[in-house]
Amino acid sequence: MPREIITVQAGQCGNSIGSQFWQQLCQEHGISQDGNLEEFATEGGDRKDVFFYQSDDTRYIPRAILIDLEPRVINSIQTGPYKNIYNPENFFVGKNGVGAANNWGDGYQTGELVHEDIMEMIDREADGSDSLEGFMLLHSIAGGTGSGLGSFLLERLNDRFPKKIIQTYSVFPDTTNSGDVVVHPYNSLLSMRRLTQNADSVVVLDNGALSRIAADRLHVQEPSFQQTNQLVSTVMSASTTTLRYPGYMHNDLVSIIASLIPTPRCHFLMTAYTPFTGDNVEQAKTVRKTTVLDVMRRLLQPKNRMVSTIPGKKSCYISILNVIQGDVDPTDVHKSLLRIRERRLATFIPWGPASIQVALTKKSPYIPMNHRVSGLMLANHTSIATLFKRIVRQYDGMRKRNAFMEGYKKTAPFADNLNEFDEAREVVTDLIAEYEAAEDADYLNPDGPEKAAAGEAGDKRVA
Amino acid sequence: MSSRSQRVNTGINSLVRRLLVKIPGEEPAAVEERESSAVDFVREILESSDSPAVVADVNQASDLIKKRLLQTNPSPEKALRFTNLYSRLLSIPVITQKWAVLYFLYQLSDHQQRTPPILTSPFKSPIKRRRNIEDVIPGSPNYGAKRNDDIPAEAFAPEGLKKLPEREGGQRDRKEEEQAFAKSAATQREGVALKTALLAENYVEIDPPETALLRDLPFTLQGLSSSHLPFSSELTLKLPSTLPVPIISILHTLAEPSLLYRGLASFIQSPGGGLLGQSLRAAIGGELRSYLGLVATLEGQIRRALASLDEREPRGGIGKAGVTLKRCVVWTREATMGLRLMSLISEESKSKKGGQLISLIHGFSSSHGDPMVGAFAERLLVHVTRPFYDMLRQWIYDGELSDPYHEFFVSEQDPNAINDTPDARNRGGASSVWEDKYKLNEDMVPTIITQDFAQKVFLIGKSLNFIRYGCGDSQWVEEYSKAASKELRYGDTATLETWIDEAYKTTMARLIHLMSEKFHLFEHLKALKNYILLGQGDFIALLMESLSSNLDRPAGAQYRHTLTAQLEHAIRGSNAQYDSPEVLRRLDARMLQLSHGDIGWDCFTLEYKIDAPVDVVVTEWGNRQYLKVFNFLWRIKRVEFALASTWRKCMTGSRGVLQGEDENVTKAWKLTRGVLAEMIHFIGQLQYYILFEVIESSWDELQTAIHKEGCTLDDLIKAHTKYLNAITHKGLLGAKKKHHGEVDENTFMVQLGEILRLMLSYRDAVDGLYSWSVSDFTKRQGADVRNDVQNRRDDDDVLINTPATTRRGPRHLPDSTPALGIDDSIVDEFPVLQERLQALGAHFKSRVCLLLGDLAYQPDVDMRFLGVVMNFNDVYQPVRKKSSRPAGREQGRSSARA
Repeated sequence: MPREIITVQAGQCGNSIGSQFWQQLCQEHGISQDGNLEEFATEGGDRKDVFFYQSDDTRYIPRAILIDLEPRVINSIQTGPYKNIYNPENFFVGKNGVGAANNWGDGYQTGELVHEDIMEMIDREADGSDSLEGFMLLHSIAGGTGSGLGSFLLERLNDRFPKKIIQTYSVFPDTTNSGDVVVHPYNSLLSMRRLTQNADSVVVLDNGALSRIAADRLHVQEPSFQQTNQLVSTVMSASTTTLRYPGYMHNDLVSIIASLIPTPRCHFLMTAYTPFTGDNVEQAKTVRKTTVLDVMRRLLQPKNRMVSTIPGKKSCYISILNVIQGDVDPTDVHKSLLRIRERRLATFIPWGPASIQVALTKKSPYIPMNHRVSGLMLANHTSIATLFKRIVRQYDGMRKRNAFMEGYKKTAPFADNLNEFDEAREVVTDLIAEYEAAEDADYLNPDGPEKAAAGEAGDKRVA
Repeated sequence: MSSRSQRVNTGINSLVRRLLVKIPGEEPAAVEERESSAVDFVREILESSDSPAVVADVNQASDLIKKRLLQTNPSPEKALRFTNLYSRLLSIPVITQKWAVLYFLYQLSDHQQRTPPILTSPFKSPIKRRRNIEDVIPGSPNYGAKRNDDIPAEAFAPEGLKKLPEREGGQRDRKEEEQAFAKSAATQREGVALKTALLAENYVEIDPPETALLRDLPFTLQGLSSSHLPFSSELTLKLPSTLPVPIISILHTLAEPSLLYRGLASFIQSPGGGLLGQSLRAAIGGELRSYLGLVATLEGQIRRALASLDEREPRGGIGKAGVTLKRCVVWTREATMGLRLMSLISEESKSKKGGQLISLIHGFSSSHGDPMVGAFAERLLVHVTRPFYDMLRQWIYDGELSDPYHEFFVSEQDPNAINDTPDARNRGGASSVWEDKYKLNEDMVPTIITQDFAQKVFLIGKSLNFIRYGCGDSQWVEEYSKAASKELRYGDTATLETWIDEAYKTTMARLIHLMSEKFHLFEHLKALKNYILLGQGDFIALLMESLSSNLDRPAGAQYRHTLTAQLEHAIRGSNAQYDSPEVLRRLDARMLQLSHGDIGWDCFTLEYKIDAPVDVVVTEWGNRQYLKVFNFLWRIKRVEFALASTWRKCMTGSRGVLQGEDENVTKAWKLTRGVLAEMIHFIGQLQYYILFEVIESSWDELQTAIHKEGCTLDDLIKAHTKYLNAITHKGLLGAKKKHHGEVDENTFMVQLGEILRLMLSYRDAVDGLYSWSVSDFTKRQGADVRNDVQNRRDDDDVLINTPATTRRGPRHLPDSTPALGIDDSIVDEFPVLQERLQALGAHFKSRVCLLLGDLAYQPDVDMRFLGVVMNFNDVYQPVRKKSSRPAGREQGRSSARA
């Protein structure tokens, strides 16, 4: 009973990330390009069946569904080195192959048309698993397919599997520069509503931050998508190591995100990863000293975060989970935690216990690394609201001018009116408000001070 | 007169005055005359020697000596030797008057020819007197010096007292050698004769005569009665009462060895106490034989002397024969000391045995000040330790204890006696072959080996024995014994030590090898950590999930076959399936002794069966510790599992069924989620602490300890015990009831148990809230539909939402009160749930504060750390236990409410 996770990758970005991710997993588990185990992959201790299943001829097949409305990326996967590992029945390419034209509405309405085919694939995968844990959606929210079709899929998954965890890895557009998609604020905002309402956990990956990290760390001016995608796949593989290498704790998705997300709406997680070096990204050759303390300290630095936020004075961590891989002595973690606390390197919410939780995991024996320790931080930080604020601001700017509205009006969701926009905006502003409220001590009990006071008094008496 | 002669004169005068005794009442004239005659006498001597008839020529003196030597000896050897010595003498720069030395020696050799002196008054004639003085002066001191030299030399000689003190000693310096060369035995005899002559002067006839006594003496020395010296009883020698006191005293001295001999002779006849006792008797017997040899020689001497007696001489002429009672005393002196020592040893050995006996003798050899005693004891030791070393050899090369008389310092324990020791009771009465089969008796360790060494020897033998019987690998032991066995004996301690070290290394390596390769000890330890200490997370999760519905039922309703079936299922479904079948077959699931009313969760346990010989490491006690830790971890895991599933319900629910618009309900949910998050955090930190801070770090220590070079089984056992202790102590289980009086309230286990129980009840309450919300949702949805229908009927314009949202979740109702008003029972339930949740939440918080307060004052750093990470951002105010009286009441109240 492996608590399977089905990966749904939608759109150009989602599929690129996905193919990187599967390549990474195959390397970590010693699965060759045709799906068989490599000769050297004899060391046990890893669980492949969370993300793979074994075919009749014992090949490992990813539990992945690849969806795109235009065939370019999928084609490149189907002709790429790992083409043979996927289940050929799990590819879905739009019939006309024209894509969603970077239009959320287009993607969403296409979803309505093709959902039967896609849901059938998902059902088939779900039936093939003993104890389905949940879904992982990989997409970007700026374009058309990933955001529009992705949003549609989120809604359908929510209805179809009300008790399964839905996690997304969502690539947010670069909100600081205008990206290649002009209408990304519209698409983002509309997707944000579904991410808020229909997903349990969203790992936010900000394209702007990814390019910045790639540029800073890898010393390249214009990082390619290939390079940023590799960052994403590294983060994804690191965040799933506890699932794939079972240890004492965090063996399932629920136990990871349960420790991160106390209230359901604040489920947007930011990540940081260190160190990025040669093996992860070819260009970065700086080898430095990696102790547990170094890693944990660097993870807290904003420049290593894969989200561009502008932390305010009250911004704080709701929770942190550090996944530390490699050769780690628990006493080092112990010391590092005390040091971080002493130096107040991280601020936490005032309304509940929060701390840096640490998961120590094995790392793949098949991939040599030239650093001793690497770390991934999954954090729930209130400053992520500033990213949403930027999206709302940009949306407002464009909406005021009614810019590029024609394309949307042509699609089904907006055929009657533009209420969808307004509702989405309301959901996102509510979300922003929720995050801001979470910075206050009375977050849990905002308008019941008398009750809170009673509780306090009770505590005092105990004291 | 020259100044020299003047100096000589004053010298003579003062010498004479000093030496001459003042006779009271003597007239001054007479004194004067005596003095002057003495002075004259001295001067005469000096003058006569002032003008020797020979020229002071070195060569001439040497020629004279050489000539003499050639005359007196048929072979030229002595002359040759003399020439050799002479040339060496010439090359010595220190001696200036070489001629004088040689001439003096030559003069000495001259005396041989002279007739024995007839004793007269010392003042008879100057020439005679001169002769006398010359006789005595060289003889006596020389003789004495020689005797003095001989005694220690003989004491150190390995063959010891077997022979009479003989003329020539060992090596001595050149001058002495020349002197010895020059003087012959005759000189000595002459000296002795002189003394005896002096003695005979005042000789009083004694009865029985000395000759008779001498004749009887050998018998006495052998412990036999003789006519003059009968043994009246076993231990008394009767001396003739007619003897004068000096002779009696001499006889006393001579009686000592004979009495000691009798004692010892009876001792060696007595039945021996053990092998070492027997060997001691044998060794003493050997010594007695050499004593008898001495007596025999003495007897021969006496016979010869008595035969050559000249009856006319005074004292029967024995003075000249050279064998007197006194001389016998001297000759038997060393033998007496040996006898005395042996007698002492034999006396003391009666109360000692085995190693103690060796220690006793070794005490004499190592710490006795007298070198003679030391050497004697050393010699004795060689014989006495022989059986000991035989035992040692059998022990360290075969692992067999062949010790019929319990003399070795390792002893086999009676299995019945073991269980009576308090130590065994601590381990729960289970005796282990390794720990209890053999015992090291500290007081039986002979002092010839150190305690460390004894420990090593003990371990070697124990290991060999264990390999043979515990591990069933006697073939190896036999081969090893054949290959390595060596003869061990007393003496060369360094070699012995290297051998033992070698044997130690080989044996330990083999034992560890067997343990790891044949009995998979390390695999078992790992398996224990993986299964009993929950290291194999996916297996545990699966087991818990598949068992959870079963375990919610009472303990009595648990069936073993379901348990084992679920266990099997969990193994198959997790990575445990890749573990070796050897490990998996030992895994078992069962219920503990159930007490009435328990549900399955409380009684369930996993078990890992350990059998011999691995159970020497993972003992019965260890197994119980493992089970304790398992039960504790299992409870925590269960709470985590419960919280996680509830969290999942709430989380996924919030995408749908929990989307209510009622403010109160939303608020209640928010608070509930807050508390739930606290609990999840608490459990997360607690688990992290136990698993990584406690188990993993202890495991690391264990690993380094057991993989160290030259690790022994004892080290293994010790390391494992330490590992378990660390886990049980730090994992809060072992936190002792330190606080006086308030036992139950204060142990961490009790506190944690309480907190865990609170969490479970909170979970139940949350589930209650969830069900309420769901039914509320259904109700509202029903109302919604009705409203919809109504609205559609009433007013077609007011369509509230897009179809997409209708499908998804609850919709905004203009006013929720009418919807809630439909069913009062649901509304009634809500405040109760809310209150219960609040009470439980508050109780939980106060409990955590108490626990944190206790943790903050723990002496153990790691336990304090737990307090820190649980309260990383200082939301809790830790409470000190001392001031918790009112809190206790408060808790009582709230728990009563709960």
